[in-house]
Amino acid sequence: MTLRTALQWVGYGVFAYFILMQAYILTLNMISAWALRRDHHLNRFGRVTEMLSSRTTPPVTIVIPAFNEEVGIVDAVRSMSLLKYPRFEIVVVNDGSKDGTLQALIDAFRLEKVALPYRPDIETKPVRGLYRGRGAVDITVIDKENGGRADALNAGLNAARYPYVLCTDADVIFEGDALMRAMARVVEDRERTVAVGGNIRPINESEVALGHLIEATVPRRLIPRMQVLEYVRTFLGVRPAWSAINGLPLISGAFGVWRRSIAVAVGGFTPGHFGEDMDMTMKFHRHCRAQGIPNRIMYEPTAVAWTEVPETRRVLRRQRIRWHRGLIQVVREFLPLAFRPRYGVLGMVTWPAIVAFEFLAPIVEFIGWIVIPVAWAIGWLAWEPFLWLLVLAFGMGLLNSLVSLLLDEAHGYFDSKRDTARLLVMAAIENLGFRQLTVWWRIRAMLGGEATKTWGNMERQGFATKTATAPPAPPASSASRP
Amino acid sequence: MSLLELVQYATLVVLVLDAVGVGTLIVLKAVNRRRRLATERRKREYMRLISRHVAFEYCTDPIPADAARDPAFIDAIIDFRNVLAGSELANLERLISRHGVVRRLIKDLSSPWKVKRLRAAMALAEIGGDETVDVLLAHLDDREPEIRVQAARGLGRIGWTPAIDEIVSRFGRVSPWVRARFADTLIGFGADATWPLVAYVMVNHRHETAGPVAAIRTLAAIGDAQAVKPLMDVLETATDTEVTIAALDALGSLGHPMAAPVMRTAATNPDWRIRAKVVTALGQVGDVGALEVLATALTDESWWVRRNAAAALGAVPGGLDRLYEAVAGDDRFASDAAMEALVDIGELTAARMRMEGGIAAPRDLALISHVEAHA
Repeated sequence: MTLRTALQWVGYGVFAYFILMQAYILTLNMISAWALRRDHHLNRFGRVTEMLSSRTTPPVTIVIPAFNEEVGIVDAVRSMSLLKYPRFEIVVVNDGSKDGTLQALIDAFRLEKVALPYRPDIETKPVRGLYRGRGAVDITVIDKENGGRADALNAGLNAARYPYVLCTDADVIFEGDALMRAMARVVEDRERTVAVGGNIRPINESEVALGHLIEATVPRRLIPRMQVLEYVRTFLGVRPAWSAINGLPLISGAFGVWRRSIAVAVGGFTPGHFGEDMDMTMKFHRHCRAQGIPNRIMYEPTAVAWTEVPETRRVLRRQRIRWHRGLIQVVREFLPLAFRPRYGVLGMVTWPAIVAFEFLAPIVEFIGWIVIPVAWAIGWLAWEPFLWLLVLAFGMGLLNSLVSLLLDEAHGYFDSKRDTARLLVMAAIENLGFRQLTVWWRIRAMLGGEATKTWGNMERQGFATKTATAPPAPPASSASRP
Repeated sequence: MSLLELVQYATLVVLVLDAVGVGTLIVLKAVNRRRRLATERRKREYMRLISRHVAFEYCTDPIPADAARDPAFIDAIIDFRNVLAGSELANLERLISRHGVVRRLIKDLSSPWKVKRLRAAMALAEIGGDETVDVLLAHLDDREPEIRVQAARGLGRIGWTPAIDEIVSRFGRVSPWVRARFADTLIGFGADATWPLVAYVMVNHRHETAGPVAAIRTLAAIGDAQAVKPLMDVLETATDTEVTIAALDALGSLGHPMAAPVMRTAATNPDWRIRAKVVTALGQVGDVGALEVLATALTDESWWVRRNAAAALGAVPGGLDRLYEAVAGDDRFASDAAMEALVDIGELTAARMRMEGGIAAPRDLALISHVEAHA
């Protein structure tokens, strides 16, 4: 085989992969549209108020890991204590903070140190003390040695008194009825629903007061604006589809409700994992299927929480490398689930698709970007087909974004002319450089090296919290993947 | 057709779709925004008009003849319906009748459009009167679960007690969501729902789980002491763990001392979940006769049973002495559980205050030293 033939076949391969991938995305978009439409009317009529006044609504424990969150933790707890939900407790896990996080909590919520025996259902770093609030907020604070976000969440799971646990971060702002809407999925089918994920949206440049979102806006800066589009594509265009067929591979760390008994049975979150939320979701799937536990892992698009996303290329690069490292770890561990009928839709559809179109996508795309300049350099690039394909790829990318924005329209966010224009411009230009950059970062994650082994730090511009100092271990509060 | 031509056609199609998508998004956003604003404006106007009509019976300000068709008008009426009373409420009901609102909503319930049916069901649940009873009863079996829920809610709001049997009889064959909402309605009926629920539980608790468990929880939430005796029978005859746990839970929250002897017999059940529930329920009843059972449960192999037993001892008269004894005892597990309960009910703080005041008893000092040693 000559070099020319080889390059030709590589080109055909990349093209075939591109077609398959577009078909995959459009199929997910169509299923999502169907699922969102199916649930839309139900969510408009009365569900939340009925649950709020019901005595049968299951209680929930909210776990907030905190590492050096002195500035924002009190506001975060106050904001969460105002959630519309009949019965819940808040467990804050102070993950070895070096600032005054613990003291801020003690002062604000009249905490008293209680010498309670700690129930270590899941092994964690040593707990230094437990505190209980004597004020109006039902709050427990666990003070423990630094062990990272996953370890802190596990300590929270250990201390949880209620059967469902909402795991979140200190920098997340929930809409008032978000928990109720997520738990409506549990009440719908309490026997089978083992976990529910919520909808995360970027809050950068939006107006926030006293821990509440006043007005959402599309950011002026390109990097966060691009992420608004990404989050909409993921949370409206893809996840409703996976949820509809009970094959959801990921519940975001910023907003996940887990059934405690199963979280304990799977050993909790994996400390040090770069993608502990995806790892946990997959562990839930595997455990339930293997043990024959009736299960339903759901996503609720109307349960909305807002969080800050990276503002600079440097922070975004670190975040994306970390996410892809997490995906690599998860793929390594759960690859044997693929094409196993025992694991149902997850094993036969979701997981193979994730491996083929999420894990391998950067490799194939990168090969494409290598072949093109090589072919051009040696004069074998057929310009006409290349340009048509380029326009096709650009058009498909734009179409994908437009479909997701149309699906998002039901939520009624960003309806000013300025926001619409910003989103459309972003949808048009994100394929001109940004997409290629993210492919490169994911390749970097695959190549390994020191840069890919550090956790990195989320630098917040902040509605309440400011940048934390570098932690000795992965921080307890870090931005979660979409 | 060559591959290149195929790509060319596909590209053109995609670009056309892109253009359509951009246009649709711009138009949709503009239309939705305008529609939202227009609905808000109409509702404001209706609120103004309705407020005049409810304040003055003979108000002549014209309300459009077809207002009943407008969701904004219905929303405004619901908002008023929930806050008015006396003559103002009577005026509002006259207004509703004059404009044929209920007739319109009943008609909408038969519409082929799901949104229209859902909206009508919810509005009827809020403003329907006795004339809607038959329609609501018929829709307890609607193909849309949410309409079933709204029908039950409406019947509950009207207070139509014959509907209780109809709702209870459907307990076992509806989805968990609908069952939970039916339970809310039955709780609203109060003691009238006790016997239908008891009958349902007695007949079904050996054959199914979900329905009877929900019915027992509903009985607990209603809080009628008439349910105690039947629930004791259920506790003695139940074969399903979930039903047993629900019965214990209900008996505990009903808090009647008559149930205590039967509950105590379940304290030796091999299933730790039942033992854990028994001790909690005994604590809720405040059964003095259960002190021995609870003290024994402090040494149970299950952490949950020990913890719940300690908490229960904290609530039973004479239980504090048993907790202090356990703290000073040799069984480390019992000691930890007792210590946790004592700390939780504020005994540690009280002991420290007594110590500072120089009036600490030996057991106060023992508790403080035990807690400090543990910490």
